[in-house]
Amino acid sequence: MRNINLSILIIAFLIASIGILSIYSSTYQKEGEFWQLIYKRQLLWFILGLLLFLFISNFNYRRFWDMTYFLYAFALFLLFLVFILGIVRLGAQRWLKFLWFNIQPSEIAKLVMVIFLARYFSTKSVDNVSLQVNRLGILRALVLPFLCVAIPMGLIIEQPDLGSGAMLLLVFITMLYLAGVRFRYILIFLLMILLCLPVLWHFLRDYQRDRLLVFLNPNIDPLGAGYTVIQSKIAIGSGGFLGKGWLSGTQSQLRFLPESHTDFIFATFAEEWGFLGSCALLFLYYLLIRQGIAVARRSADNFGRLLAFGISLMLGIQVFVNIAMNLGLAPVVGLPLPLMSYGGSSLFVTFISLGILVNINKTRAVF
Amino acid sequence: MRVRIVNWLVIATFLFIALNILNMEVIQGKKFKNLSNQNCIRLIPQEGSRGRILDRQGNIIVDNNLSYNVMVSSYANIGIDKTLLAAARILNVDFKVLQTTFRNKYIAPFMPTTIAKNIDVKKAIALEELKPDLDNIIIQPYPLRSYPYGRLACHIIGYLNEIDRWRLTKLANYGYKTKDIVGFGGVEEKYDYLLRQEAGGLSVEVDHRGRLVSVLGFKPPSNGKDIQLTIDLKIQKIAEENLKGRNGSVIIMEPYSGEIIALASSSNFNPSVFLKQSDSAVVSLLDNSDAPFINRAISGVYPAGSVFKLVVATAALETGKISLSTAFYCPGSIYIGKQKFSCWDTHNQQNLIGAITHSCNVFFYRTGLLVGAQNIYDYALKFGFSHPTAIDLPYEASGFVPSPLWKKIYRLRNWFEGDTANLAIGQGELLVTPLQITRMMAIFANRGTLVTPYIVKAINGQGVANFKRRAVTLSLKESTINYIRQGLRSVVSDAHGTADLLSDLPVSVAGKTGTAQVAHGQPHGWFVGFFPYQAPKFVICVFLEHGGSGYTSSIVAKQIIESMVKEGVI
Repeated sequence: MRNINLSILIIAFLIASIGILSIYSSTYQKEGEFWQLIYKRQLLWFILGLLLFLFISNFNYRRFWDMTYFLYAFALFLLFLVFILGIVRLGAQRWLKFLWFNIQPSEIAKLVMVIFLARYFSTKSVDNVSLQVNRLGILRALVLPFLCVAIPMGLIIEQPDLGSGAMLLLVFITMLYLAGVRFRYILIFLLMILLCLPVLWHFLRDYQRDRLLVFLNPNIDPLGAGYTVIQSKIAIGSGGFLGKGWLSGTQSQLRFLPESHTDFIFATFAEEWGFLGSCALLFLYYLLIRQGIAVARRSADNFGRLLAFGISLMLGIQVFVNIAMNLGLAPVVGLPLPLMSYGGSSLFVTFISLGILVNINKTRAVF
Repeated sequence: MRVRIVNWLVIATFLFIALNILNMEVIQGKKFKNLSNQNCIRLIPQEGSRGRILDRQGNIIVDNNLSYNVMVSSYANIGIDKTLLAAARILNVDFKVLQTTFRNKYIAPFMPTTIAKNIDVKKAIALEELKPDLDNIIIQPYPLRSYPYGRLACHIIGYLNEIDRWRLTKLANYGYKTKDIVGFGGVEEKYDYLLRQEAGGLSVEVDHRGRLVSVLGFKPPSNGKDIQLTIDLKIQKIAEENLKGRNGSVIIMEPYSGEIIALASSSNFNPSVFLKQSDSAVVSLLDNSDAPFINRAISGVYPAGSVFKLVVATAALETGKISLSTAFYCPGSIYIGKQKFSCWDTHNQQNLIGAITHSCNVFFYRTGLLVGAQNIYDYALKFGFSHPTAIDLPYEASGFVPSPLWKKIYRLRNWFEGDTANLAIGQGELLVTPLQITRMMAIFANRGTLVTPYIVKAINGQGVANFKRRAVTLSLKESTINYIRQGLRSVVSDAHGTADLLSDLPVSVAGKTGTAQVAHGQPHGWFVGFFPYQAPKFVICVFLEHGGSGYTSSIVAKQIIESMVKEGVI
């Protein structure tokens, strides 16, 4: 209802504002125009993102149903383009230069895959109005959608962006589960993945292997791959109950913590705001995801329901993986914290996703 | 159903994360807080300078020069190789060597690591110029002991070295720590607590590359106190030059106050070898059979020989066993019991003054037997033998005076008259230090007071004479002193006196020679005296270890006094 719509907007606004404060803090002591522009740019993305949000929330989500294949093709096109024209930054080719800013197609691809899967699993047969997912055979329930997901996923992993790739896989599994695919198939799928893991290990890049090994024991390479995790844990842990105060976090201010404005923004925040601040932030994220799930549960439309679930869980998984990574509970994979991390693509896609959620909620009311 | 499960899963993951944050921030918060401080806080020590040592005129004997240490500050080893490579080029050291030094010296992330010590100014400037590129390099000025006169007065000064285990256990309560540089021997050791500087330092905040961001705190280092000695550098130099490297010592003392004007001991060492930390040079000094670290003037104990006859003479006159009219005939030797005791020459009938002049053994055998061993012992102790003189230098020996009681208890033998005869001429078990002999001579120079010698005149410009132990008046008879002084003067002035070669000096000298027989090798040579005779200003004691005879020592004394006259210091 209106209530939910408004609260989604307010929560998103709050989290994004906290994000800008943290980005300002993490770049505060860094000299150079580039660093001093960062929070201003994020502020710009934020305003544009809000406009996008308002636009999308008034854009009937059913139109995405019609656009699904076009969007899918567009996402694939962008991912291919990354291979050809992509900008290499931090050892990965993830960005496309578009006019005067860089976009990260993998962020767009995530949302598109959610839309795609929502449509795929809400298709009704021509003769029967009821859903048929639970009656589908293994080929149509598992193999076909997985192949469709596997293509962009493979492209993303090859960038290499293991985090986003793994994210897609997790979203895929949860969508399978919520769409009502037979539990048996899901188990088979999980087993297959487990069996494939040793094989996949050989396809990983050296640095990715290092990161996974370091995740198991950060002290094997405290100044190389383990450095970030150790510094991030120190940053969070040293925050204490009340934190060191805004602009006073030594770990982020004095640059011990790398990537303090992007993937490790949570550590920056937790260092300066302490346990209380972190819990408050965590609670905001929880409320946001709960609103998303509430929208999904209230939606009578199968497409809308799955789409809302997919979006909420996509956000939830990203929040979980990112914070777990900050805490050293998950391997370091390049995955931003939605609404907080610096980066236009992620912020836009998140606002679009939230816009879709609001629209689903609104549209339900119209029915 | 599935929706509800997913809902619960979401709640569970959020709780899981919240609990983990609780664990890290609140439960383990303190540990991470420390780690965070270690990351960004560096302590840069700053040394104060140790107190200087001056002579009585204020000339600097021991000074401090600025030398430079090179330190590297960084978080663990990040970016260190680049800095080390550049530093290696300037310091002319192999990069690999510097790397190992860094690894060995690395203590903790919050302490900058010293990679080179005592580099010269040129290199320090060259390194300082690197700073804009290599911001984790710290050039620290560091006061280092310098000895402008090299070996001069080395036994008075002592040397500096890293504190050893024994001193550390003694001094830990006074704030001494391992790796502290402390004084060894001499004034450096005795007055270490005053000379000692207190290190201050900066605690600074640095960023991930070790660059200084801000200064958190500063404690200024404090300098040690300057110590002024009673030593006169000119006379000290004369004394040391005239020893000519022979093993022995020269002491020149002011007879009324006990101020040490010069105190030379040979062989000696150069205290600066300890600054270079080159072990081979130190080891070769320690292995040297001439024992260059021993301050012979206060730590060496030797038989006194004939100079001890003055104690016997005083005892005899004071107890009234002899008077000036008492005379003995010296045939060259006498029998005491069945043993023959010989003199170095034959002398005719002579009284006390003659016996002192010719240093006649037979006269003193007889006098000694008259006075008795116990009286000799008592007067020896009255004159300060067998106890340290309490000079303000470490490792003073106490010497030894035998007595009948001691022999009974420790040797389980009776004291024989032969022992008394031996003691009367300063042989046998008697052991003295040159400083004790000097002090004994001062009694005759100052007419009857036992002074306490001292070497520190002022600390930080404040005189310390008032804190010294008072001189003891021995209340000897005026006549006793007069007779002995006459004897001492005629040792020099008489044509047959044992030190008559000093008679042609422009100052009138009085003194006594001594030739102390030793079990192995040449006898030790003593000359102890004072001058000018009428109004003594200096007591001089020349001791030559295995020098042959008292005659050689009196030659050295003559040369010293000659030089002093030439320098115009008398």
